[in-house]
Amino acid sequence: MKNKIGVYVCHCGGNISDVIDVNKVREEAEKMGGVAIAKHTIFACADSSQKEIAEDIKNLELDGIVVASCSPKLHLLTFRSVAERAGLNPYNYVHANIREQSSWAHSDDKKGATEKAISLVRSAVERVSHSVAMDPVSISAQNVVAVVGAGVAGMKAAIELADMGSQVYLIEKSHYVGGRTSQWGKLFLPGETGKSVVENLYQEVKKRQNINLFTGAELVSKKGSVGNFEIEVKITSRGVKKDADASTIEKAIEVCPEEVSDEFNFGLTNRKALMNFHPGQFPEIAAIDAATCTKCGKCAEVSDAIDLNLEEERITLQAGSLMITTGFDPYEPEKSEFGYGDYDNVITLPQLERHLELSNGKDLVINGKKIRSMAYIYCVGSRQPNGENKYCSRYCCTSAVHSAIKVREKVPDMTVYHINRGIRTYGKQEVLYEQSSKNGDIYIQFTEDTFPEVSSNGKHTVVKVNDLLTAGKELEIEPDLVVLVTGMTPRKDDAIGDTLKLPRGRDKFYNEIHPKLRPVETTIDGVLIAGVCQGPKNITETVKSSLAASAKTYSLLKREEITLEPIMAKVDAEKCEVCDNCSAACPFGAFEFVEENGKKVAKVNESNCKGCGMCLPVCPTDAIELSGYTNSEIEEMIDALTESDY
Amino acid sequence: MSKVDPKLAKDIAKYGAVDFSACYNCGNCTAVCSLTEENASFPRMMIRYSMLGMKEEILSSKELWMCYHCGDCSATCPRQADPGELMAGLRRYAIANYEPSGITKLIFKSNPFSILLTLVLATILGFFLLTMKPDFTVSRWIFSWMPYAVIHLMGLIVFSFTGLTALLGIFSMSRRLNRKHSTDSNKTKKSVFQSIGEVLTEIGTMGRYQKCSTDEGEYWSTKPNLVRPWFVHWSIMWGFIGLLFATILDFLFKDPATTIWLPSRILGTVSGLFLIYGTSLAMYYRMTKPTKTYEATKLADWMFLFFLWIAGLTGFWMEVAVSFNLSETLSQVIFMIHTIISMELVILFAFSKFAHAAYRPIALYFLARNRE
Repeated sequence: MKNKIGVYVCHCGGNISDVIDVNKVREEAEKMGGVAIAKHTIFACADSSQKEIAEDIKNLELDGIVVASCSPKLHLLTFRSVAERAGLNPYNYVHANIREQSSWAHSDDKKGATEKAISLVRSAVERVSHSVAMDPVSISAQNVVAVVGAGVAGMKAAIELADMGSQVYLIEKSHYVGGRTSQWGKLFLPGETGKSVVENLYQEVKKRQNINLFTGAELVSKKGSVGNFEIEVKITSRGVKKDADASTIEKAIEVCPEEVSDEFNFGLTNRKALMNFHPGQFPEIAAIDAATCTKCGKCAEVSDAIDLNLEEERITLQAGSLMITTGFDPYEPEKSEFGYGDYDNVITLPQLERHLELSNGKDLVINGKKIRSMAYIYCVGSRQPNGENKYCSRYCCTSAVHSAIKVREKVPDMTVYHINRGIRTYGKQEVLYEQSSKNGDIYIQFTEDTFPEVSSNGKHTVVKVNDLLTAGKELEIEPDLVVLVTGMTPRKDDAIGDTLKLPRGRDKFYNEIHPKLRPVETTIDGVLIAGVCQGPKNITETVKSSLAASAKTYSLLKREEITLEPIMAKVDAEKCEVCDNCSAACPFGAFEFVEENGKKVAKVNESNCKGCGMCLPVCPTDAIELSGYTNSEIEEMIDALTESDY
Repeated sequence: MSKVDPKLAKDIAKYGAVDFSACYNCGNCTAVCSLTEENASFPRMMIRYSMLGMKEEILSSKELWMCYHCGDCSATCPRQADPGELMAGLRRYAIANYEPSGITKLIFKSNPFSILLTLVLATILGFFLLTMKPDFTVSRWIFSWMPYAVIHLMGLIVFSFTGLTALLGIFSMSRRLNRKHSTDSNKTKKSVFQSIGEVLTEIGTMGRYQKCSTDEGEYWSTKPNLVRPWFVHWSIMWGFIGLLFATILDFLFKDPATTIWLPSRILGTVSGLFLIYGTSLAMYYRMTKPTKTYEATKLADWMFLFFLWIAGLTGFWMEVAVSFNLSETLSQVIFMIHTIISMELVILFAFSKFAHAAYRPIALYFLARNRE
């Protein structure tokens, strides 16, 4: 119990005092138990008022203060620091909101509003008289970052963090770095290709001593918390030695009997279980796909460089933070969606991109047919009015328009239709649209009410579409090739999301805390997200987000110490009966179970706990207290409020 | 259901409209147009038809002929797609496609062909004229290997052919417009009489043309009516019609046009002045290019204007020559030029820009008839 409590009632320049009788509140506060001084002030937040409160604290040796003013969202931290400056523990300050909760809410009832303000002040005084001084929690942190996914986002982040002085573990599930970018040919702006971008990043990664790149590696478990994660990584051997001779490897690939469709080319070609690298994939060493390999041994007979002992290795790494850059999967159209799967001349944009990369010569030949006209259908798998994917995938308009320009470089007299729902070649990419329309590409626009239909008249593939730009007239097109401009979807394989309990947005991509103010952090402290795993982005935007995440990570770890709010749950070991309710309720995985005095009990991991209080009501034995909001504080507040006549 | 035909755009481009593929359908052109209306929206929709190759939609569009090519749309276009020029190109395309012979297509697509055709026609007409004085040396030489009856027959065939072509063109256009408009039958239609009245009013006053390019800040808004394009057009049109009547009257009364105070001569003189005033100013504009309209003048435009101008000037020369007894040989040469040019205008009516004189009133009739 405290007996030197100071109460300050704010006018808020009339916002409060026009409705509430501020002096009456002050008079009542003066009478409350433990209150040593009660004042009113025009603006409590003004410099002069802050000084006055600080001086009162010092001169009268106040042991708790209450400011009755606006919402704590506005000025809680202001008055906490006033207390701290005057030598009072900031957690012995309690904020009473008599503006939003009284004067503004009850401007029609001055008497009632005043009564309510008195009650709110009384409850605040009760709380502060039971408040406990607390100090911020400080934990040590390692300046080590584990980056999961070595696409452009992951590699760029690794390079940036390494240059700032962090140790980086770059963990890539596949045997090759580069991700989706390595599958793409010429990029906008011209002169760059997916291959050149990936190669550039890979060489930079290789140059840095403080980046450890693991390929064929998967993060399988995580323990600990921000500053001190302990992760387990499963590494599958690639089965081919680094110094393997290219020609014997080629022979070994030839003799490999296991053939499956090649995901790198989106099923346009097949590959063997012993697979060679594609242009744009690094390191440029063949690898064995352990899932397909039967260990028949034929390749090993041909080449010494092959080691069929494909054992999994598990290693444990320590990291201060984790950055997730696992990218996306292209949307896979459903069977018969715009004729996909029904007609072999209906393909997706990523498939077309691979066709362009794989085909030589002056013609675009697909399935043995020379293509003379093509129709792109936009927003396939994006902006679905009925489906789940409501979002725009951002990259596809630009990419499709760019692809049409690339096709025309190969086949100048190609007829190109863009059947779209509004072209979004935003920003600098608009020049592509300009060029495409100057090339004579035909743009046809549909709405979400009437989707185009792809059918066949026996001889040709027919696309029927109601063109918004021609007063909704139904048009009929007979293109040689239909290209479905597919969007981005979250990775189907979400093992990492499950392992880390990464929060997802409504779009199923990993979710940031705040799209504008905290765009690369997740609700799990020390786990950051960047690139397309967070939501659709083009390469430029991906790199930007990965640089943002790098800066954020570095600012977190550079002092090798992390300061946390002391408001958190504490378990009374004697009362705890280990029912597990608390850990089930905790959204942050803050509970762990430890042996204490020969008894297994729940314990709160301080670096994980956010002080949200979800665990308190589910504890059957009332063994959990939330510091800053202890049971006695809350109970006294409730009592104070129920005593009131109001 | 309309089949898309991307090749048509290339064909249309040959008629002079080359930039329209830059259009991104913003609709500014339609928004600024003073003549577009709810049931007859242009120029954007015409660009759309052209891009998609919807030939029948183009040929059944009255909208083509509602435009007087003020150039506002082209000046406003953010993509420099030049919608005004497309409208002009489509009118050429339509003239070429309404008449069945295919000659117009060649004329509009190939400048050398159109010049050659004009010259050949002029030569034939020249010889034909020479035969009108049977005792002339050249006439005797012509008759020595081609009897007079054959020449007469040839003349008849040529005139029948061109006349028939013009009629077929008019029929082809009317049929298309009629078919398109009979589908929206719910609309309350204006009576035939009323509709013809509206067309005649437009011909008389150029009321629609008067609306073009005259909003505040636009080029013609500060210029007097006498030099505005609508009045230039009015002068040429009524000048020509007046001269046509005067010529017919001269012919009917076998008047050798010896005195300038006969009513038919007064009509001829006044009309001729209008024609020369209009054509001179029009050619001046096409040379000095004060607005976007005149930036892409085609050979077809020059020829049409130049022929009218020459016809007017030579006509005056003859009137002056008769009054002041000028040199007879020179007057006869001038007379031949006058006659050749006038006859070329008439013979090439359906195959040239001149055809708009038939097609525009038909389109305006359908516009009036189908407006609520």
